[in-house]
Amino acid sequence: MDLLAQYVMNGVMLGLMYALVALGFTLFFGVLNVIQFAHGDVLTAGAFAGLAGYAVAVHAGVEAALPQLLTVALAATLSMALLGAVLGRALVLPLKGAPALNVLLATLMGGTALRECIRLFYPGGSQPQRFPALLPSASWSLGRFTVRLDNLLMLATGVGLILGLSLVLQRTRLGLAIRAVAQDEETARTMGIDFRRVVLLTFAVGSALAAFAGVMNGLYYNEVNFGSGLLLGVIGFSAAVLGGLGNLSGALLGGFLFAGLQTLGAVAMPFASAYKDVFAFGMVILLLAWRPTGLIGERLGERV
Amino acid sequence: MNPRVVALPLRLTLLVLLLALPAGAKEVVKLAFIGPLTGGNSAIGLGGRNSADLAVKLRNADPAARYQYELVVLDDECKPDTGVQVATKAAADRSIIAGVTHYCSVVAMATVDTFHRLALPTVVWGAVLPDITYSHSYKEIHRVNGTMVNQNETAARLMLKQGYRRWVVIHDTTDYGKGHNKYFTQFVTAGGGQILGTFGVTADQQDFTAELTQAKALNPEVIFFGGLTPIGVRIRAQMDKLGVNAQFQGTSGIVSDDFIKGLGPLAEGVVAFREGAPAEKLPGGKFFLEKYAEQKYSNPPEAYGPFAFAAASLLMDTIEKVGPDRKKVLAALGEVKGKDSIVGAITFDDHGQNTVAAITAYVVQDGKWLVWEDSEYAAGKRRLKGR
Amino acid sequence: MSDAPAWLRSALAALTLAAPSGLLLYGFLSAELEGRVGLVLAAGALAVAGAWRTGWLGRLVRMAGERALVTAFTLLAGGLVAVFHDDPFVLLLMARAFIVLVACLGLHVQLADAGVPNFAGAAFFGVGGYTAAMLGRGALPHPLVLLAGGAVAAAAGSLLLLPLLRTRGHYAALITIAFGLLFRTFFEVNESLGGPQGLKLAGLEILGFRFNDDRRVLGVEVSGYAGYCLAAVAMVLLALVLVRRLERSWLGLALDAVRLDETAAACFGIEVARWKIAAFTLGNALIGVAGGLSAMMVGFIAPNNFSFQESLVLVSILLLGGLGNVAGLAVASLIVVWLPEKLQPIQEFRYLLFAALVVMVLVLRPTGLVPRALRRPFGSPAA
Repeated sequence: MDLLAQYVMNGVMLGLMYALVALGFTLFFGVLNVIQFAHGDVLTAGAFAGLAGYAVAVHAGVEAALPQLLTVALAATLSMALLGAVLGRALVLPLKGAPALNVLLATLMGGTALRECIRLFYPGGSQPQRFPALLPSASWSLGRFTVRLDNLLMLATGVGLILGLSLVLQRTRLGLAIRAVAQDEETARTMGIDFRRVVLLTFAVGSALAAFAGVMNGLYYNEVNFGSGLLLGVIGFSAAVLGGLGNLSGALLGGFLFAGLQTLGAVAMPFASAYKDVFAFGMVILLLAWRPTGLIGERLGERV
Repeated sequence: MNPRVVALPLRLTLLVLLLALPAGAKEVVKLAFIGPLTGGNSAIGLGGRNSADLAVKLRNADPAARYQYELVVLDDECKPDTGVQVATKAAADRSIIAGVTHYCSVVAMATVDTFHRLALPTVVWGAVLPDITYSHSYKEIHRVNGTMVNQNETAARLMLKQGYRRWVVIHDTTDYGKGHNKYFTQFVTAGGGQILGTFGVTADQQDFTAELTQAKALNPEVIFFGGLTPIGVRIRAQMDKLGVNAQFQGTSGIVSDDFIKGLGPLAEGVVAFREGAPAEKLPGGKFFLEKYAEQKYSNPPEAYGPFAFAAASLLMDTIEKVGPDRKKVLAALGEVKGKDSIVGAITFDDHGQNTVAAITAYVVQDGKWLVWEDSEYAAGKRRLKGR
Repeated sequence: MSDAPAWLRSALAALTLAAPSGLLLYGFLSAELEGRVGLVLAAGALAVAGAWRTGWLGRLVRMAGERALVTAFTLLAGGLVAVFHDDPFVLLLMARAFIVLVACLGLHVQLADAGVPNFAGAAFFGVGGYTAAMLGRGALPHPLVLLAGGAVAAAAGSLLLLPLLRTRGHYAALITIAFGLLFRTFFEVNESLGGPQGLKLAGLEILGFRFNDDRRVLGVEVSGYAGYCLAAVAMVLLALVLVRRLERSWLGLALDAVRLDETAAACFGIEVARWKIAAFTLGNALIGVAGGLSAMMVGFIAPNNFSFQESLVLVSILLLGGLGNVAGLAVASLIVVWLPEKLQPIQEFRYLLFAALVVMVLVLRPTGLVPRALRRPFGSPAA
């Protein structure tokens, strides 16, 4: 029983990370009808930026964990917000109107370029880097199930972020503008909404979310690796697709669903937990075959 | 067709062709060095490279040397396919006379056929899987460092003496991890210990919750890990996260500074075993460490640096004797008996394997790998987990 | 000159293109020092740019015609093999480039002709290789083993057909990406097919002639890789003929229609599903066969070979050469395979370089460096 609880806890943590990435994908798709495949690598870049922030903080003599943590989080989210906007400006907006495949390819390659830059130019980038443990490590044991404070904190913050995003989208003018553009770009422009500004801001917000997920990933595993963004990006994309692109609650559903599939795979095949990825991706393919536009369908219209 | 316009590109290419023809050859002899220079094991790979480079530099500074040596450095990334690619590249290049090859056992196993097919004599400097020299009868493959068999025998003996009786084994699914599993299990059970469970993990696995949760349920005293530094770091870190309170025991694969760097305080008290003595205790160790420090490399020689140095020196000595000819070097390597080197006397048996008698036990104390006998753990001032 | 018979004109034009190319390639492949490699590259780039700008390149290509060009360059390849007969490294490079070309031709049929995205190209390449590994030691003659590699790759691809047909655009792309990742993880975890260690392969052997052995031909030492190189050239030839015939046939016309506008094609009665299946399967078969030969030549196969990164490299080659442009594809394969090997400094940076180049091409010249020619209806003059 407590074994199961441990698995569930792990699954929930992973699900949150995937959901954060999936939210980004869904936001970008909603606003611009594009798949920004560099998103996963933005996550990794965010984690590395956080790491760099930590190094700077330590160098500047900051000793306590909380300010270090804040520095890491700020460094990651702010730099990635900027990077996201730059990617949107340089890569995605110029390709507006090009066939969807072109944008996919451009962002895939952009992601590769980002990943390679980290590997080549960050000192020691090709090896896994130790991510500092900045959260309190208190834990309680209920039988053989260990509840850790840092996991709970990350969970709480992640949920808070998602709620915050939802609030922004539902209650603020920016959110209104984003939803308007997502619904009908031409009309939104006619109504005086600055399309480019909205797009760039959306990219900034989505990338900041990814950066937070990256820092979370680093704190959870105590490690960051230049290649982890690729898999996380594909998983985030799968999750967004499962829940239906353009649908925010769908992205959440997809994220937790994918984590659930992985956990199911790990429980069902304890002898080789690596099969869980095979299982999860196989299920994604099957689900797409069954429901080509995701479980909660994409609001898709096609001009013929 | 306007003949002038056609002739211009033609003339240009002829000019280029003339420039592209190779210049006259000097008496430079090339040696290949292959190791993991990027990725999770890069610290050891770079240490090996620097050591081989040191050997070449020292030889080139020697006025009595007949040839000028050049080290061609290739990165196998600790991946078998990349290893085969660079091995093919090195072996297919006729100007490379011999190679100092491989730390990762998986890669060394994969390239054995390549070196035989393209007839490049090689000396392994860091891979410990016995099969690399014993699973075939190719004359091209030699090895200066020891194999994992003796390492595990000593490991079992020492840990049993400490009073441990219950183990869980986690190993990577390559032949390297499986080899460690096989030999360690054999020696531990023979000595009265018990293996409660065995788990195979992939070499780039990130998440070990499944394995460690089950291991925790088995309540072991020691977790034996057969694999390399990157996963070693992850497993030890996640053991802490999941509250698995067992002693962590590893093999030569984790005896690297990156292991300690990756874990910080969590590395304290981790035990590992390795064939060969630490650099300071080798016959030529002090000389090696002095010369190494003079060159101011940005990475330390790590555990296998001295072996890479010895391998490179052996090859250069052989080339000095018989000349830069692959066949002659191959024949000469087959006759190596009691040859002096910084790691002791080298004798290749009929499979090209050198016998290395010493097995060293290490423990991490205060952020450094210390020889067990010199540590406070052996003296009783500190205790391993569960003792 | 214009009075000379057409075949003579086209032969001479092809020769005029092939000869300097041959010299350039020889200079490039035989250069040892990076400086010389750079010089050859610079000279080559100048020559090509000059010929292009003055319009001579286009004129010569048109005068030569496809058949003469293919023949000339095949002879050129054979000639290069003869010149480098005892240099295993150069022969290996050449063979690798040709094999990659065949795989990219398969991808070309899928992506450029039918518009079906395939981001698992390296996975299908691997399927062909693993099939060759499993069947190569058995009693099946090796040419059939290679074909079997293609068949198994096509069969593996058929697993994806149902989801692929039901999805469009980025959803379809996701399916192939997921499959590629799934494939690699599966082979890494599954011990029965070698696991992460990979498998060793016996070399190619046809009618007792073992390709792996070095031999003496007419008193000259010939490296084993020469045989593989010639086999690869033969494969390229067959694949080219197949692909070009396909493109010129009704099948090609149907594929064009499907690619450009599925809805319109369906309105015109074209069975979209059938042609997509045909293109996807044929493409995978080509990729599989290339994978089989590659595995036999290298003598080793491991799951790491078939990462998503490698699939992206194949797609990059397609894009860099210009989607739909077979000649561009050939040039791009040569550049992508040879440049990092010859220019050691860029070896480390090659993924970054290719990614950046592709991004630039996509943003600045989305139709490719040489825009795709429009299909000419029968009888109408060239534009």
